[in-house]
Amino acid sequence: MRVVVATAKGALRSLGRISLGVARHAGGLGLLAWRIASATLAGKVGLRAVADQAYEMGVLSLPLVIVTAVLSGVVTSQQGGYQFTSSIPLYVLGSVVAEGVILELGPVMTAIVIIGRVGARVTAELGTMQVSEQIDALLSLGRDPVRVLAAPRLLAGIVVMPLLVGVANTAGLFAGMVAARATVGLGYEAFLYGASLFWHNWDLFYSLMKATVFGFIIPLISIHMGFLTRGGAEGVGRATTASVVFMIISVLVLDALFPPLFLN
Amino acid sequence: MIEYVDVHKAFDVPVLSGVDLTVETGETLSIVGPSGTGKSVLLKTTLGLIVPDRGDARVDGQSVVGASSRELQQIRRKVGYVFQYAALFDSMTIFENVSQGLPDDVLETLDRKEVVRRVCRSLEDVNLDPAQVLGKLPAELSGGMRKRVGLARAIVGKPQILLYDEPVTGLDPVNTAAVEHLITEIAEKMGVTSVVVTHDIEGALGISDRIALLDHGRMRFVGTPEEFRGSQDPLVVAFADRHAAAAAALKIMEEP
Repeated sequence: MRVVVATAKGALRSLGRISLGVARHAGGLGLLAWRIASATLAGKVGLRAVADQAYEMGVLSLPLVIVTAVLSGVVTSQQGGYQFTSSIPLYVLGSVVAEGVILELGPVMTAIVIIGRVGARVTAELGTMQVSEQIDALLSLGRDPVRVLAAPRLLAGIVVMPLLVGVANTAGLFAGMVAARATVGLGYEAFLYGASLFWHNWDLFYSLMKATVFGFIIPLISIHMGFLTRGGAEGVGRATTASVVFMIISVLVLDALFPPLFLN
Repeated sequence: MIEYVDVHKAFDVPVLSGVDLTVETGETLSIVGPSGTGKSVLLKTTLGLIVPDRGDARVDGQSVVGASSRELQQIRRKVGYVFQYAALFDSMTIFENVSQGLPDDVLETLDRKEVVRRVCRSLEDVNLDPAQVLGKLPAELSGGMRKRVGLARAIVGKPQILLYDEPVTGLDPVNTAAVEHLITEIAEKMGVTSVVVTHDIEGALGISDRIALLDHGRMRFVGTPEEFRGSQDPLVVAFADRHAAAAAALKIMEEP
């Protein structure tokens, strides 16, 4: 009996600790978002800084985003072709690839690429600034780190992510079409006919809406975790790992919430 | 004038436990004490970089605790802070780093030539040749030069108060003497109030009007360098005399 009570107490304590951690992070993220919004609405964010971050996040991520999207499109097309051959009309493959890429693979794979390439870098960069007192130096010079460091990164994420997902969708769709012709002999016209069969304009809006939400949450978490970093180089490593895990889980949870909310 | 009134701060364990200290306008005061006694924490409360759990820090009568962001901004404009490892911005050149010390509203009114002139003058004030360092990144400079750039950034906005956090830590004796000479020179030339947190007791005795010894989160001694040297307090004696400090350390190590 004592063992059961002790186990239950331990489980409750762990649950309490986790809940407290989640509440603390949620509060911190909310406050950070509010401060960024205030600085932006007050016109205090430099456009040049936003453009620099947009270049870092967008232009420099483009090759990796395209490679990922092309491979996603090719794999979806090949696997669909393998399953449909001699069972379902092959032109349906166009719909499977188009809907798969635009509704799911384009936004999610791009988000994963941006988490790895940009989110981790932002946490490590701001974390290093935090542990080397550069953030304190900004404050001591009367400059607000939220305005100077956080806002440009978040605004760039919101602007760049839908553009990257647009490119990823196009690249994935085109690669899937080429792969369908090469592997199962489905012509381009038949592919596009299939793609148009189940197409809704809402699907594209849904895809870009997902991209905007991911473009908001990835920089927000990476900045928040960077600002929370303590404890030298080891602390920067720990914060970066935790940040990547936090961003991936958040993106996947948000992704799971999208269909019930917006596809009915 | 800076006043620390009953300042308490704890990070899991108490660091500052009721510190009272006044730094008069124009004086140079050094805070010394064993590692981990909260010297840097006390310094950071002056600018609201760390908020005390209890008590207050006041700059020219203006409270830091409970200050609005605008009030904090006003306080920070009066104060230059020299960080332990300079805290220069890695991705910016030395020119960009030092020009960050100019307040935004001042920057808006100056043309580029005037900004360059002010940055160059600050670099010259800390004995650096602008032509050699302006376009370099912090990583391309030695530790001593980085500290001097940190000092140039702190003085370019013409503050009334300068706070130094371990300004000579990690420097060789030549650079240590150079930085300590700069602290005295700038205090005299600009008439600033200076607070220096340091482990270098010899240097502190040479540059300070008063010395404060912080121990276990409390002020143990505050007085002139002469009073410090003449004190019979065992900890002050240990700090004032390196040989006595070594003997005290040996005694602690030999204790069972």
